[in-house]
Amino acid sequence: MKKRVSDVWVGTRPFRPVLAIVVLLFALFAVWQPGFRTILNIQNVLASVSILFIVSMGMTFVLISGGFDLSVGATAGLCGIFLGKVLEAHLLPGPAAVAATIIVGAILGGLLNGLFVAIFRLSVFVVTLASMTALTGIVLIWTNTQSIYVTDPVVNQISISRLLGVQTPIYIMLIIFLIFLYIQRRTYFGRDIYATGGSYTAARLSGVRTERTLIMVYAVAGACAGLAGAIAVGRVGAAVPQVDPGLALQAVAAVLIGGTALTGGAGSVVGTAFGCLFIGILQNGLNMVGVASSWQYVVTGIILLASVLGGRVGTRRGGMLSGIKKALGIKSPPPAESCAVEPAADAAAGGRKSG
Amino acid sequence: MPDSTGSREPAPLLSLTGLHKWFGGVHALCDARMVLQKTGVVHALMGQNGSGKSTMLNILSGQIRPDEGVIAIGGSRATFRSPLDALAHGISMVSQETALAEDLSIAENILLGHRLIRGRVGINWSATQDRARDVLQQVGADYDPAWIVRSLRPDQKQMVEIARAMSTDVRILVLDEPTSSLTDEETKGLFAAIRRLKKQGVCIIYVSHRLPEIFEISDEMTVLRDGVTVAEGQKSEFTPRSLVAAMVGTEKPVKAGPTRESGVERNLVLQIRGLTLEGSVSNVDLDVHEGEIVGLGGLIGSGRREVLEAIYGLRRAASGTILLSGKPLKNENPLVAIKHGVGFVPPDRKTQGVILPMTVQDNLAMAATSERQRLSSPCNGKIEEECRATSRLLSIKAELDADVSTLSGGNQQKVALGKWLLRPPKVLLLDEPTRGVDVSAKGEIHRHLREAASRGIAMLVSSSEYDELCDLCDRIVVFFRGCVVATIPREEASETRLAALGGGSKEG
Repeated sequence: MKKRVSDVWVGTRPFRPVLAIVVLLFALFAVWQPGFRTILNIQNVLASVSILFIVSMGMTFVLISGGFDLSVGATAGLCGIFLGKVLEAHLLPGPAAVAATIIVGAILGGLLNGLFVAIFRLSVFVVTLASMTALTGIVLIWTNTQSIYVTDPVVNQISISRLLGVQTPIYIMLIIFLIFLYIQRRTYFGRDIYATGGSYTAARLSGVRTERTLIMVYAVAGACAGLAGAIAVGRVGAAVPQVDPGLALQAVAAVLIGGTALTGGAGSVVGTAFGCLFIGILQNGLNMVGVASSWQYVVTGIILLASVLGGRVGTRRGGMLSGIKKALGIKSPPPAESCAVEPAADAAAGGRKSG
Repeated sequence: MPDSTGSREPAPLLSLTGLHKWFGGVHALCDARMVLQKTGVVHALMGQNGSGKSTMLNILSGQIRPDEGVIAIGGSRATFRSPLDALAHGISMVSQETALAEDLSIAENILLGHRLIRGRVGINWSATQDRARDVLQQVGADYDPAWIVRSLRPDQKQMVEIARAMSTDVRILVLDEPTSSLTDEETKGLFAAIRRLKKQGVCIIYVSHRLPEIFEISDEMTVLRDGVTVAEGQKSEFTPRSLVAAMVGTEKPVKAGPTRESGVERNLVLQIRGLTLEGSVSNVDLDVHEGEIVGLGGLIGSGRREVLEAIYGLRRAASGTILLSGKPLKNENPLVAIKHGVGFVPPDRKTQGVILPMTVQDNLAMAATSERQRLSSPCNGKIEEECRATSRLLSIKAELDADVSTLSGGNQQKVALGKWLLRPPKVLLLDEPTRGVDVSAKGEIHRHLREAASRGIAMLVSSSEYDELCDLCDRIVVFFRGCVVATIPREEASETRLAALGGGSKEG
């Protein structure tokens, strides 16, 4: 048992900074504002980040696989419209409609982003920017910029009703989190994601179906966006012809704050969960102490830079100090062992002559 | 030459003497020297891989600084702090890989940066083009300077690189393996340009592994081995045989191999007939038997690597057949190749062989579990036990849950090899199996490979190191320019012979 605990502690290493920040922030607001630490408010914090949280789970896999996805906001928007249309026309009963929405999200993500990224090897940025742009347009065309009011009870059940006194999105978050944690740690698919992001070539040469893995990863991200879109419909009580332009980037921010590298191959949904909590606590806490909510973006930006910088500098030899010195151009005496140990291989014909 | 009686000998155009360079613990150059006595000669710098040629060139072009030694130009000592310093002394290098801005015109590439000619307002394009045309004429290339580089053939690109190098006042031009991507016809064009420059009094330092070329174009030679200059002199003082002998040095006796019981017929595992690959390999036949280690020797770019890649499904064959145990090998991609019993240890360990941020166990299990249901759990005792056994077998010095990035090069290479030993394939392809690992790890890996072969795995080993091929292989197939030029049984193999054959020399 003792070994188990120490194992878990070792496992937290990549996201210890975000863990520390979340704990500090929580303690700060809890002391400062007694209203913050009530059960009700903590529920509010969690529920307020549920959409971001679900999208960020899918985004974590995308980042571990070495990519990212700008289109999840647009996918969520389109899936919300799909749900609204289906329920308005009574094509499917409520729960089936929600399931269909998730599947539509998966198909959109897998076919649009996955196919172009994995099979045609186009740049992730271009592909997801294109699908984001196109899907945003489709949202406007399909709705004719009119909101669709939704009366079916299912959308309330997944967004604002309570079960045993706890808001349902919190259960959904928890279930999604456990599913993702299981996939990440306990399936070959999870290993494939790390392998593909760690080194695409090495993974392919070792028999990993890298194309399929990438398609699946974008499909999963799309499915998450679909679910998030359905919850968003329930919150408003209508499918709104609007796409949240910041959702995708906020999710990327949460994932990066959680210690997952933009370069792929490393990271964890646990870190992402803390990244989302950080954003939720910050929003809620600043609100309570009466700071304009715009400040949360400033703080998020700073923490994002700090955590990525911390991760980068922490892994480099010489540590933070020499990294900063180097960045500022302060020279320190070279270490005894020369830095680039390049064996005298004849392959290295060297860089360019200057010209 | 009047070299006595007080009349002073003219100072050499360029002399590098007493050069030392350490990289970490590796003594890359150890009292190396190279002297160019007079202008207008082609000086060949020869040596095997790892002999210190590149280090020497990098010092000469100002990219690295020697730890000890003197560079003198026209008798006066010079210090190169950067490539610009070398250029200021009239030394310019054309490296092996072409480095041109593909989407710019020839003129822009030649006069890139500060040498573009400025008019009163911005760049004077017509003057720039005229200047570029002059430089092109100097090297004997009648290209339109407005052509876009992307549309050029490899040899034309090379010529543009040479023109760029010559666009300043250059007295010494360094060409690092300029013919490695050229055809015979294109090589002739290059040689014409070199002779032209020679007549203009330019000195050319020429690096190549191809012996016939060296004897055709060069006037004098310097031979490096293990960082030491072991021979220098006029071309007439060398024969292909003596040159190779100088490069290879004293022969280590070929180790007594595992004795093959002769009477036993071994099963033919891999049979290749008439394999041809677009632009790299033509009409190659190859047989590999059960438990046999066949080496593929030859220069980089000679086609040996491409053959391995074709077997593993990374390249499409233009024609030819590959039979595995008598049946045509389906190998449209690595996964299918693995399924049919082919394994591949790629040449670049860090980007192809292992996945650095993952654990030893994840890496070892990867190929063996590539067919598993993807949503099933990898955390099962059997796989872990197999990984542990493989790790023990190869004596990988690391815990199974350590990240591969924390391992030494030798241990990383063992992981790259070990992933195939969980489920031994019928054929294991290895490309540079011991590149960049230290000597003891190299010996260990060789021992493990022989053990694996003795358990019946057929192996194809492509290597740039002739001593490795001699040590490891039962039979060595030598490639030159995409063709098999010789097949040598172990007993008759020697480094000298392989080096001569790999360099294109006819006699073995």
